[in-house]
Amino acid sequence: MPEIKTQDFSAASVAAIADPKLRRALDRVASGFEVARLARVADATPEVWDAWRQEAREIKAHTIEHLDHYLDLLHTTVTAAGGHLHFAKDAGQANEIVAHIARTRNVKVATKSKSMVSEELALNPVLESMGVEVWETDLGEYIIQLAEETPSHLVAPALHKSKEDVAELFTEKLGIPYDEDIYHMATTAREVLRDKFMEADLGISGANFVVAETGTLVIITNEGNGRLCTSAPRIHIGITGMEKVIPSMQDLSIFLRLLPQSATGQRITSYVSMTTGPRRSDDEDGPEEFHLILVDNGRSKMLADPALREALYCIRCGACLNICPVYARIGGHAYGWVYPGPIGAVVSPMLVGLKQAKELPQASSLCGACREVCPIKIDIPRMLLDLRKKTAESPDPSVRSAPVIERASARLYARLMCGPRLLRLAVRFGRVLQKVERAIPFFSFMTKDGKWIRNAPLPPLSRWTRARDLPILPKKTFHELWEKGLSRDDS
Amino acid sequence: MTTPESGELLGTPKAEFLQSVRQALGRGDAPPAEPYPRLTDTLPEMEEKASQIRKRLEENLPALLDKLGEMAALGGWKVHRASGVEEAIGYIESVALESESTNIVRSAQDVFDHIPVDAALANLGLKVTTVVRDEVNPREALREEIRQSGIGITGADYALAETGSLVVLPRQGLSRLVSLVPPVHIALVRPEDLLESLDDLFLLRRLEYHQRGGEMGSYLNFITGPSRTADIEMTIVEGVHGPKEVHMVILG
Repeated sequence: MPEIKTQDFSAASVAAIADPKLRRALDRVASGFEVARLARVADATPEVWDAWRQEAREIKAHTIEHLDHYLDLLHTTVTAAGGHLHFAKDAGQANEIVAHIARTRNVKVATKSKSMVSEELALNPVLESMGVEVWETDLGEYIIQLAEETPSHLVAPALHKSKEDVAELFTEKLGIPYDEDIYHMATTAREVLRDKFMEADLGISGANFVVAETGTLVIITNEGNGRLCTSAPRIHIGITGMEKVIPSMQDLSIFLRLLPQSATGQRITSYVSMTTGPRRSDDEDGPEEFHLILVDNGRSKMLADPALREALYCIRCGACLNICPVYARIGGHAYGWVYPGPIGAVVSPMLVGLKQAKELPQASSLCGACREVCPIKIDIPRMLLDLRKKTAESPDPSVRSAPVIERASARLYARLMCGPRLLRLAVRFGRVLQKVERAIPFFSFMTKDGKWIRNAPLPPLSRWTRARDLPILPKKTFHELWEKGLSRDDS
Repeated sequence: MTTPESGELLGTPKAEFLQSVRQALGRGDAPPAEPYPRLTDTLPEMEEKASQIRKRLEENLPALLDKLGEMAALGGWKVHRASGVEEAIGYIESVALESESTNIVRSAQDVFDHIPVDAALANLGLKVTTVVRDEVNPREALREEIRQSGIGITGADYALAETGSLVVLPRQGLSRLVSLVPPVHIALVRPEDLLESLDDLFLLRRLEYHQRGGEMGSYLNFITGPSRTADIEMTIVEGVHGPKEVHMVILG
């Protein structure tokens, strides 16, 4: 698995917010993808769009509830089409399967189409250590590979890079003159990679969907690199998560409507490539061998938890990233692992362990925008709350996200709010403190205008007032007003 | 390790993997209690739906051809409606001249029996190669020819009005690369290739899969507009790995 940095979330987000270049890049995403998505929803009409979402959700829910059944069917159909289906319980096993195929088939050069799962598995270093040349061929992934970085968005992996960054990178790594014309840079990538496509022995792709009924792998792309990876080399390996299976070929139409329109606002992508097994004897070209690897790698933990199971419905469109006010300010890298944004804040803790990613469920204002845009109606805020509950209630102190003092104050607050007598006592005590504070101007910086505590001197209140203000105690509490007979004049 | 032919077992055995999934779901190995409608319908039911699809097509053909043209143009195709064979060939000639390419490849589909492009393009002094494997042209030679070509011309298996997509299936004489590797792609679409929607397409493909005893064919590609990327600063560039210019000639 790639290096996990989810534990550094707070520090990484502070650094990201302070990066003006990243802010400019993130502004482009917000104004690009989401605006186009809204136009497509309007084309379809919100009612039809919502009916599609509901139907897609029902298909996913049914499949995940019977995942074993559909995986079994898929095994039968992939095999019948002349392909090989392998199951991998973790990253190590998945990488070993690819390594074995590469070793036994004498693979020298491999081209890859974009695959988030292969990022999750950290497959490239494994192949490279065997002496296999690995080429990422999606332009964004190619840039990331040259820069030795990780993707920062599910759909646009290099969005954090400016054109100047890419031009410098190409000059440094490819030895070409500096040229920041975007069209020229894309042409350079086309030329470098064209030779590799033709030379490659092995093409590796991910999968957006896998159809159980027919054993068909579906990839949705714009550049054409996916088609080249799955057509030109003599071996094709598809790698994806076990949750990507759908029952019937006819289920595809709804997903082909929802995925591209939610992801980039395109009515459909330039290419949808469906492959079933290797080439047949009559075909003019295509791979001689086809392997599909389905990975668990922690997904069965999500499956086993009814509160988090629906995270497996995700089709990785990235719409929740594009709308999220938190993602819009910190970008993808701050999340510290392969899957960023709201869905990443749910998936990463489950895949890398809550202990290392306990801060991620806090990376949300719970505004609910992610749920609104999700094409599968995944209730991300509910799952984030569930994960927060898990971090708060864990018997293991290292999983708990709140420091001891915050937990103690929360307990105290709960006690006060549960006992009216205690609460009244505390209010009286608080009023005395407030009077003392007014009499002795030493503390007056706390309450400059006499209405809000803006700058408390000691934790835990000081942590609260760092980002928010705290109201002072009113002359009369609601409780007291109520007892006297509530009226406007008393307030 | 055994050879792939005898069932090379890599990773976790199926039974063990499925068992762990069942355990996570907390269920036994019973199939879904509710039959899944898009898997359990019978061949006659699918055939009935297919004939309804064809009937609807016949009734709405002119309107659907208009919609195909409109959606294809929105998807990035340069759409040309040709009223006859001569006009179609004239358009292909003009694209060929404009692209300044010397080599052209085309697939060997039926549509070329009615639209004889070879002679017309040869008259312009262009080399046209039909992608059919034989002793003179083995697979490797054809691949190199495709790579050297400026234009690839193909027919269509289907054209989808809903999305403006061209759909191609594998067949003898149709390389996957003709519509992908040359910088210009010209697709010839006949009215009989037309389908209304994604739903119709996938029903017909499912039907054929079951009629052929469980054979899907090795691929099915949707092509909608040119190859594109927006991976650098969200700026759209056309023609990154596939064609940068795509023409849909609609006959009729």
